[in-house]
Amino acid sequence: MKIFQVALGILAAIGGFVDIGDLVFNVAAGATFGYQLLWVVVIGVVGIIVYSEMCGRVAAVSGKAVFDAVRERLGFKVGLVALISAQVVNLMTLTAEIGGVAICLQLLSGLSYRWMILVAGVAFAIVVWVTPFEWVERVFGYGGLCMLVFAVAAVKLHPSWGAVAHGFVPHMDTQSPLLYAYFAIGLLGAAMTPYEVYFYSSGGVEERWGPKDLGLNRVNAQIGYGLGGFLSFSLMIVGGALFLEKGVQPEFLGSIALGVEVPLGQIGLLLALVGILFAVGGASIDTLFSGAYNLAQFLGWEWGRYRHPRGAPRFTVTWLVLLVLALGAVMTGVDPVQLTEYAVIFSAVALPLTYIPIFLVANDRSYMREYTNGRLGNVLGLVYLVVIMVIALTAVPLMILTNVGQN
Amino acid sequence: MSKSVDLGLNVFDHQLLDSEDRRCGKVDDLELEGGPGEEFEVVAILCGPGVWRGRAGVLGRIAAWLGGGGRVRVPWSEVAEIHSHVQLGKRAEELALGSGDDRLRPYIEKIPGSDH
Repeated sequence: MKIFQVALGILAAIGGFVDIGDLVFNVAAGATFGYQLLWVVVIGVVGIIVYSEMCGRVAAVSGKAVFDAVRERLGFKVGLVALISAQVVNLMTLTAEIGGVAICLQLLSGLSYRWMILVAGVAFAIVVWVTPFEWVERVFGYGGLCMLVFAVAAVKLHPSWGAVAHGFVPHMDTQSPLLYAYFAIGLLGAAMTPYEVYFYSSGGVEERWGPKDLGLNRVNAQIGYGLGGFLSFSLMIVGGALFLEKGVQPEFLGSIALGVEVPLGQIGLLLALVGILFAVGGASIDTLFSGAYNLAQFLGWEWGRYRHPRGAPRFTVTWLVLLVLALGAVMTGVDPVQLTEYAVIFSAVALPLTYIPIFLVANDRSYMREYTNGRLGNVLGLVYLVVIMVIALTAVPLMILTNVGQN
Repeated sequence: MSKSVDLGLNVFDHQLLDSEDRRCGKVDDLELEGGPGEEFEVVAILCGPGVWRGRAGVLGRIAAWLGGGGRVRVPWSEVAEIHSHVQLGKRAEELALGSGDDRLRPYIEKIPGSDH
């Protein structure tokens, strides 16, 4: 029974791994550089495994979520800067994800985009308000598993497997190294999106994890995110095998789904759209709550998605306000795919302020007792802090130099 | 509380929990007493937007203004325990903490399904 439960949780984690940032950057990277950047995805996936495991462990042993740690270790002033940057990035991501949901609904129903934005917004509010949260998480996770159709499509497109394997070995074969670097940073940013750890650690605190749940935490992080990484590979392979071959740069979510229709036909297209709908829909809900978690944890308010709304009023009002703001932003007609690029690049800048405090708390014996980082955890943790600092410093310059990946 | 406590690492900016484990603010500042040559003593926890004003320059002043500028003083004698959070010995209402949540609650309760 326990194994069954764990397996269900992992399935939901796989389905929930991919969000609009992964979709956009993996397919675009494939369409631009073929399979050359697959190795970067591996680095990103290992990074999110290392840090989500650390956040889960801190949550289980000390009862602290990410923004508790941020406030305690960075203090009010620097912490406030971290909070503001996290909230800005979060709102951009939320807007992009809701736009993505509306596009899927539009493609599936044939009705107008603006109406679908409203439908998406109302549906989110109702689903979150009336459905028990474990159901919300599961349903979106399982629906997201339809994304596996991208893996089938990747195989059916008969890529050159030798070239795919070569992609896992770091190398650069291009005339435009800056663009290559820009995509590398986008892929890392998309894989290590900070809202994933906000949401994951807050969930651990809410489910009252204790030291006995550390095994579950490790399995969730390693297998759930690890297998989720396979979806990212599939997306890039589809990008390389189809779009690069044909010389097409997919600029719309719909064209990404077409990557499945070419080898698999109408059924494939339908599954791809449903998969994207659920994966991006689930990500919208995670992002929405992350914004409310961060604010509530930073200021010490009562919070929790398992709590009745009346048990955490300011938290509830925060996510309602964020939802309205994001809906308003999507309504302006901003292009979700473009916005995703900006959101991922800016989130790369905000990463250090999230991960450094977690690293410090995970090493603090006074809270973590015998569960502080092991040697491997510290080596990996430090290596990734360096990687994250490099990303944070180069992300915006590269975005400007490459004209947001256009040249 | 004979065990030594690192105020900077284990108290400052930590979560306040009331006697029923309700989250009711952060330790935004501490009030100390004692002149030169005397022993310093913590006399109170200070909490609320009014305290942020002095902690983060212009950003802090804006945050304080947005938060309404209120501040609450909780005597140190009300602290029951310090573990990874700061646990208080009374309920939040008795200490005038968590009033922001209490003020909003009646409105949230008007929406059907708020207590499912």
